[in-house]
Amino acid sequence: MDHNNESNQLIKLQKELAFEKGEKEKLIAELVVAKNEIAFQKEEKRKRAEELVIANKELAFQKVEKGKRATELGIANIELAYQDEEKGKRAKELGIANTEKGKRAAELGIANIELAYQDEEKGKRAKELGIANTEKGKRAAELGIANIELAYQDEEKGKRAEELIIANKELIFQNKEKENRAAELGIANKELALQNELKEKRADELIIANKELAFQNEEKEKRAAELIIANKELAFQNEEKGKRAAELIIANKELAFQNEEKEKRAEELSNANKELLAFTYISSHDLQEPLRKIQTFVSIILENEKLTENGKYNFQRMQLSAGRMQLLIDDLLAFSRIATTELKFEETEISKILEDVKAELKDTIQDKKAIIESRELCTAKIIPFQFRQLMYNLISNALKFSQPNLPSHIIISSRILKGGKLNNEKLSPEKNYYHIMVKDNGIGFEPHFSERIFGVFQKLHGKEVYAGTGIGLAIVKKIVENHNGFITATSELKKGATFDIYIPAN
Amino acid sequence: MSLKHLNILLADDDPDDCLFFKEALNGSVFTTHLTIVTDGEHLMEILLGDINSLPDVLFLDLNMPRKNGFECLSEIKLSNKLKSLPVIVLSTSLEQEVVNLLYQNGAKYFIRKPAEFSQFKKIIQHTITLMANVDQTKPTKENFVITLKND
Repeated sequence: MDHNNESNQLIKLQKELAFEKGEKEKLIAELVVAKNEIAFQKEEKRKRAEELVIANKELAFQKVEKGKRATELGIANIELAYQDEEKGKRAKELGIANTEKGKRAAELGIANIELAYQDEEKGKRAKELGIANTEKGKRAAELGIANIELAYQDEEKGKRAEELIIANKELIFQNKEKENRAAELGIANKELALQNELKEKRADELIIANKELAFQNEEKEKRAAELIIANKELAFQNEEKGKRAAELIIANKELAFQNEEKEKRAEELSNANKELLAFTYISSHDLQEPLRKIQTFVSIILENEKLTENGKYNFQRMQLSAGRMQLLIDDLLAFSRIATTELKFEETEISKILEDVKAELKDTIQDKKAIIESRELCTAKIIPFQFRQLMYNLISNALKFSQPNLPSHIIISSRILKGGKLNNEKLSPEKNYYHIMVKDNGIGFEPHFSERIFGVFQKLHGKEVYAGTGIGLAIVKKIVENHNGFITATSELKKGATFDIYIPAN
Repeated sequence: MSLKHLNILLADDDPDDCLFFKEALNGSVFTTHLTIVTDGEHLMEILLGDINSLPDVLFLDLNMPRKNGFECLSEIKLSNKLKSLPVIVLSTSLEQEVVNLLYQNGAKYFIRKPAEFSQFKKIIQHTITLMANVDQTKPTKENFVITLKND
């Protein structure tokens, strides 16, 4: 009977173990569910992993938390490991005990009672253990799951941590690089700032320079415009000049031709003048001879023939006419001779010339009871023959135009003086001049005739009153001009006349 | 010494003047013998031909054909035979230069033929008187031209 009891008890135990197995299977099923759950969670974790980038900060916090849990888990694991060890020991002990039980089944019979009691005790204790095991199984499963989870998470965390470390190193490197770059950028920025400043200065300068250039361009354009106008003007002027030059060339040729012609004409004129004067001289000279013969024959007739009074008168008129003609020829001859004869200047005493003339006019001087007074007579470089003629004409004029019932008084002087001391504006003050003066107390003439009297054939009186040809003073003037001088006449009617001759003395 | 008879040679190509000269000699206190030649060449031939028949005085006209009075005067004065022959020049005109030249060339006197015959006659008579009172001295320049004083 003990044995049956024991086997009943064993069956009981086996049933209990089966039950426990069933429980374990249930737990396993639950573990599958849990695994599925984990798979789902994995998925979720993947999702979360995606969210991890965002949640790194969260993770850092969780890390700390996980660290704490990990330590807690570490402690729990140690506990669990210890419990597992104990379980293993007990399982071994159970195995040994089971073997012992087989062996000791006999012994057990004895000890069944003990055992029964002990079983009871053990049943109680088994129940307690079952409950405890269930609890432990649940906890173990949970722990397994949690461990897997944790292991996975740890792995992930390790990976992530490694990645993070790499990433951090990378970041640190990049940060360093960035700092280097930033430093370089700082230097480069300063450089750029300086360059910008310089560029701004340059830009300012360029603006001013541009304005200047713009102004200069404007000016240049104005100048260019002015230049274009000026160029056109110049071109026009050049054209005009060209035309004028061409005209001038033609005009010059014309002038050259005209000059040549003029020179020819001048030469012809000069020759003609010389011929004319020569002709005048010769003809005057040759005219004298027949004229003289007419006069001579008339004088013979008047002397020798018995004529009627009327006949006598007519012959006398003829004689007068012939006489005037002779005077005319004489004067013409003298005039032409002044122009044709050689101008030979000689140092001559004026007094000597005056004596000659006085001698020549001796009879007239006596007739007129004239007084010829000479004062300070100098020597002069003159053409003696012409000067003699000049003095002769002036003195004979003075005698001829004396006042009736008043003896002629003629004053003659000649002197050398500076132009400045002579009262005539035509003279150069510093030059020396011969001043020859012939002054009379004759009938004189109206002042307005002072120029006219020097003209050829100019007479102030009828030939019946004063004989003469009107050539005498023209000859005088011509002679003075031959001496490069000039003559003036000053007079008032009935108050005498003064002739002043000025001849350069050098 | 004075001459009552004068051999006068007149060289003048103008017949009127020769006539006047002849007339002027009329009524002279001196007896005169007048020979007339009418050109210069002929004059020189006569003068140089017969040395014994030289005139006492030569009246010479300047304006003559073939050889004028100037040339004749020069030849006469250059000839030893003739240079003492008094030469009196007659001319219609009176030009100082001509007068000077004649004086230099040795003419004795110069006479400008006056228009009035009576004056001409007086001058000729006066000259003959001068020549008759043979005065071999050369007259001064002042007296070279014979003029008539107003009577």
